[in-house]
Amino acid sequence: MGAGKTTLLNRILTEEHGLRIAVIENEFGEVGVDQELVIHADEEIFEMNNGCICCSVRGDLIRILGNLMKRREKFDHILIETTGLADPGPVVQTFFADEEMREKLFVNAVVTLVDAKHILLHLDGSDQAREQIAFADVVLLNKCDLAGAEALASLEARIRSINALAKIHRTTNAGIEIPKVLDVGGFNLGHAMEVDPHFLEAGHRHHHSDNVTSVGIEADGDCDTKMLDEWLSTTVREQGADIFRMKGVFALKGSPDRMIFQGVHMIMDAANGGPWGDRPRRNRLVFIGRHLDREALIAGFRSCLA
Amino acid sequence: MKQLGSARAEDNILHVCWGGDLLAATPATGGILVLDIERRDVAVHPGHGIGNGSSAWLGGHLATCGFDGRICLAGREIHSARGMIERVKPSADGRFLAAGQGKSLLVFDGGGRPAQGLPELPAAVSDFAWNPRDSSRVAVVGAGGARMWRLGAGEPFARFDWGGASLRAEWSPCGRWLATADQTPSVHIYDFSTDHPLHIQGFDSKVRAMAFSGDGRQLATGGSPIATVWPCTGKSGPDGATPIQLDGHDADISAAAFSSGSGKLATGDATGIVLIFTFQGARVLRKRARLDSGISALAWHESKPWLGVGLEDGTATVLEL
Repeated sequence: MGAGKTTLLNRILTEEHGLRIAVIENEFGEVGVDQELVIHADEEIFEMNNGCICCSVRGDLIRILGNLMKRREKFDHILIETTGLADPGPVVQTFFADEEMREKLFVNAVVTLVDAKHILLHLDGSDQAREQIAFADVVLLNKCDLAGAEALASLEARIRSINALAKIHRTTNAGIEIPKVLDVGGFNLGHAMEVDPHFLEAGHRHHHSDNVTSVGIEADGDCDTKMLDEWLSTTVREQGADIFRMKGVFALKGSPDRMIFQGVHMIMDAANGGPWGDRPRRNRLVFIGRHLDREALIAGFRSCLA
Repeated sequence: MKQLGSARAEDNILHVCWGGDLLAATPATGGILVLDIERRDVAVHPGHGIGNGSSAWLGGHLATCGFDGRICLAGREIHSARGMIERVKPSADGRFLAAGQGKSLLVFDGGGRPAQGLPELPAAVSDFAWNPRDSSRVAVVGAGGARMWRLGAGEPFARFDWGGASLRAEWSPCGRWLATADQTPSVHIYDFSTDHPLHIQGFDSKVRAMAFSGDGRQLATGGSPIATVWPCTGKSGPDGATPIQLDGHDADISAAAFSSGSGKLATGDATGIVLIFTFQGARVLRKRARLDSGISALAWHESKPWLGVGLEDGTATVLEL
């Protein structure tokens, strides 16, 4: 809270980009423009399968978006502003677990605003703060004018240790080029191929008190398809509640093509990523989550190599 | 089938309902249409900004609601607060009007004044249904199942819990059954006479259409291109009974309505097909009409053989059978 979400929303809505944008607000922020485009709703968790966190979706979004999709004039983007205490998991899962949402909408990105001046006061004591960073495709390190260069570098490293994949932008007054938040494609499978080994290294330097971390795995060689399938299935079945995001690129034995995959909690999505061509057949995989056992994940993956 | 009249709104018709011979048609956005078939007249009532909810008739007046958090009755605003409102529904005897907003079920008397309602609920109101036999009782559904309340009471008098969420509710005209359509492709049918919940699964998709017959002895559900009619009679109702399956649609059923007068069942789908089923003992007769756009809403006139139809292209039309 107070990191600049409403400032960012107002920027997006007032910029002359020619896009039709609706906002779903769960917090009583003061979006200052065109209230006709703002829908207020209570955050409403639908637990499915008797409370399994991996199956929880947001009932308010299902009902509002279901209505918006019936309009003749569709929106180009729908921004969902959650409260600073919201769990991003059910928000994201709504777009994969609900049949209608899955068919008609796609998630562009989870954008998390971080108050550069004050976040360190809260990061150690707030699971929500760490989890909102962990889920992010884009982190806006906002209010940078209030923090020194050294503090910003340290904070950026801390954020990187939690989430090795997110794009981090330093901003003041949430000043950001709009495509950097509206045109991200964070859940686009094609972007799973952009897993950067340097990020993986950064992710290994985790803060002593962070139970939310990234685990990056990189290995040459081909995977046994059946063993990889079984390992991934078992991993998300047993640890899905603690795995926030996953992305990876695999080389499968006998296949000239890359297999790309991404996931949220227990929901996984995979596709053919096209031929490897001249590139080295190098598997790259990142887990972002809570209480991740780095050694066990690495050993598990290596056992899938043919 | 003869078309008696029609009108065109600016957007997809979400809901239609009859008030005497007037048909209210509520589009997703824009003005709400009221078709007067006898006078061949169309009135337009103000909409609710970014999105309309549903509409209802109370004492001959139109009630509307929407995403702007407002409720209007007879053109007068009777409620305004932050938070979307999807549905307004009158009690069967017309004494009350209710609407769900967040975790509140707002209740108004026939004049639109706040009436004794319910305390703040544990979960947001996805839908609610009045007991057609007793307007002091209302069922509220949402995350966790259904809770049945007496107006003014501090606690529900009955509850049906399950580990999921329900999106729509229908209370049978006979008062015995409460049916819910769920977030998952399933339906719950609760039997008040035995306190027995029945969970019916196996639908192709989420059940968007559901309707009781006028006597409460049949429940029609969508959830696939086949309409399934569950017998709600005998000691166990649909539990263990074989439902009637009615084919003829090429797409999932998007709307269903029973005529309380004739007992006919109307169903519609997204390809514009309307089917009318007439039950004659063991036989079921079927009539078919194709309209110009997907069917989004159906409602029978209370006494005349008129079917109000809402279409995805914004057309509201009345068919005479």
